Amino acid sequence: MKRERSKKYFWLQRLRILTQAGFFLLFFVLFLQTHYPGEDYLKITVERFFHFDPLLLAATAIASRTIYAALLLSLITVVATLLLGRFVCGWLCPLGALHQFFSFIFKKSRVLKPLKEDQASLSPKYLILFVVLAAALLSVNLVGYLDPLSFLYRSFSVFISPLLNLGLAQAGALSYYLGLKSLGQNISQTAGNLALNGVFQNALLVGALFLLAVLLNARKERFWCRYLCPAGALLGLFSRFNLLKLKIDPEKCINCHLCSIHCQTNARPFPAGEWRSSECIYCETCAAICPTAAISFPLRWKLEKMQGVDLNRRRVLLTSITGLFLAPIFKISPLRLRSNPGLIRPPGALPEPEFLNRCVKCGECLKVCPTNALHPAVTEAGPEGVWTPVLVPRKGYCEYYCSLCTQVCPTGAIRELTIEEKVTVKIGTAWVDKTRCLPYALGKPCIVCEEHCPVSPKAIQLIKVDTLTPEGLIATNLAPFVNVDTCIGCGICENKCVVMDLPAIRVSSVGEHRSSHNRLVLPVVEEQEKQKP
Amino acid sequence: MERRDFLKNLIVGGLALKFSTPVFSQPASPELAVVEGESPSAITREAIKTLGGMSRFISRGDKVLIKPNIGWDRTPEMAACTNPDVVAALVAMSFEAGAKEVVVMDHTINQPKRCYARSGIQEAARAAGARVLFTDEQRLKKMALKGEWLREWEIFQDFVEVDKLINVPIAKVHSLSRVTLGLKNWLGAIGGNRNQLHQKIDQAVVDLGAFFKPTLTVLDAYRVLFRNGPQGGRVSDTRLQKTVVAGKDPVAVDAYGATFFELKPQELAFLKLAQSRGLGKFELEKVRIEKRAV
Repeated sequence: MKRERSKKYFWLQRLRILTQAGFFLLFFVLFLQTHYPGEDYLKITVERFFHFDPLLLAATAIASRTIYAALLLSLITVVATLLLGRFVCGWLCPLGALHQFFSFIFKKSRVLKPLKEDQASLSPKYLILFVVLAAALLSVNLVGYLDPLSFLYRSFSVFISPLLNLGLAQAGALSYYLGLKSLGQNISQTAGNLALNGVFQNALLVGALFLLAVLLNARKERFWCRYLCPAGALLGLFSRFNLLKLKIDPEKCINCHLCSIHCQTNARPFPAGEWRSSECIYCETCAAICPTAAISFPLRWKLEKMQGVDLNRRRVLLTSITGLFLAPIFKISPLRLRSNPGLIRPPGALPEPEFLNRCVKCGECLKVCPTNALHPAVTEAGPEGVWTPVLVPRKGYCEYYCSLCTQVCPTGAIRELTIEEKVTVKIGTAWVDKTRCLPYALGKPCIVCEEHCPVSPKAIQLIKVDTLTPEGLIATNLAPFVNVDTCIGCGICENKCVVMDLPAIRVSSVGEHRSSHNRLVLPVVEEQEKQKP
Repeated sequence: MERRDFLKNLIVGGLALKFSTPVFSQPASPELAVVEGESPSAITREAIKTLGGMSRFISRGDKVLIKPNIGWDRTPEMAACTNPDVVAALVAMSFEAGAKEVVVMDHTINQPKRCYARSGIQEAARAAGARVLFTDEQRLKKMALKGEWLREWEIFQDFVEVDKLINVPIAKVHSLSRVTLGLKNWLGAIGGNRNQLHQKIDQAVVDLGAFFKPTLTVLDAYRVLFRNGPQGGRVSDTRLQKTVVAGKDPVAVDAYGATFFELKPQELAFLKLAQSRGLGKFELEKVRIEKRAV
């Protein structure tokens, strides 16, 4: 018998690689485009990828009991998966492409070669999915930690973006050092236009997890997709018809096992009848690698049975119940009693409980913020809120006429605001620390905070203050006095304060509009004040 | 500037002065041009014309750096940044006078890209042919300012490595130095912790003014900010003055600028300091001023 590989599936495999590369590129371009474009409003929906993720729809809808309309686009993914199986994982997912790429590289290497034989259970990802969905029932939204798009985007925002920025700065410095002035200038101008954020708190942990996820491909090919990905698991549950069914021609098959050995997701194309349709991502590797072209994917209308995944009713039930018991742990936090002064949310953020139900920790807002003000929370927002966005005035401030973070949130955790609406939103209140403020504490002139206050009339007013100096003299200077009613908490005063380590004026979250209890002046009293003649 | 270049310029300039028509001693050309009119671009052009034309300041082949105030993320009607049309007119005139390259640059306070875009200066200056560049940290170098207070400071080399420097501030109020005009505009050419300069702002402004010696100062007072300075926030914080003040003497330009805010030049500490440092004259009665309207 003539041995010949299938030309058709060879080209189909190439097409798949090309598609993956294209989608990854699209993802990266949209990532870079998530910045201030030179106009007030972004023209393209940079967060579009997220809207096609049914896991985000499911988790946020269950947790928040509301459906964010844009996420309904993910129903397209659901229908496509119902009919065609998990081709989205194999052809379109950018994180899948990344894992595939590194699996390919590692397979070529000697040290990092992934293990071949695989008896390990494929069920962990399903169990993760059930924990996530069960927790969502109790309004604990855990989806962001392992959702593939959130994971990838967050890693790029918090870890890759600062590295790129650093790389550009180094390249610029090197160019000037070598006397290549115009190259150095081009690099710095490119960096200025890309406006990549250079520092993030907690970047090391986010980055380490990203590197770990990549390195796991050295253990098993597409480790993440096989064992961890809850979105892949959800699509696995939906892959019911698999209209294109794997078929092995028994006449041609020489029982060489190559197809099963090289299967990216351990979907076991061989032996015939053991094909795990819910695991197959239609990468076409098996059909392309078959030395006798025995494998094909003909169209057939028949319901598939989920097999090869040890997922029985008992395990599903147990895991879901575990999820239900696990969820309340995330709620044991003193933040439920009293707001954290350091938890300053971006403008447009929903009230805290609703915000947490919707935020998927994707890092879109962190990327788009032009002043590097938004950072992934570490402890500020409690156990549920790790990696949710928090504004850290010491690192960046909220630019007055900017509403970019409100334009990119894929789940509506940050409500979209026009510039006109945004400037009216109060996210916190500034407080003067008289023990550190130059005019108060040292009797020296300084009006830097007042100068930078963007509100008109300024929320930082100047009053004359007398300070007794050790010489027995009285130093009279203008000193800041914050008007809590007009202060919006943007944090530029804290950011620009000359007292570098612990600024003499600091913003805390009190007075934020989104909260009805994190207040210092009763609105009722304010109303009464207004009515006074 | 290299010592050799300096000597060369000295000799060439000396010879040129000796054998050319004595332009600098002409009593007819005013020291300060004050032009009022409807179009920011036209009054800028008229002001330079009044001073004797751009070719008096820019030579053929010059590399020119124009320093507007692009400090804030504010649109032109807020009068927080220099009027883009004034900047564009100066760019065009520099090219007309034979400049080889014109760069427009400022070290902003708000996020650079936003300031450049929303002030309208990037677009207008580019359309006029200028290269509009962000400042680059790599180009910061600690330099000896030899000031009374500021001995040394980090300076963006772009402002030093040019043939001609044109300062284009906008007239605004400021709660510490009372007004911010041309001399204070040099805070946008330096790096470091600029906000510390506020502890002795008048001295800092004069030290910087003594270091950066502009060929020309053009004060944009088309729309002045008279309240909530230096960034305003409402159009009602601004007032249309429809004037441009230009001159070689940076102190005289600032002294005239003070009058837009009902201030006498002698009330401003930094002007007195500047005059005693020999940077120019603030007593306007001793300055040849020509006023025009277009």
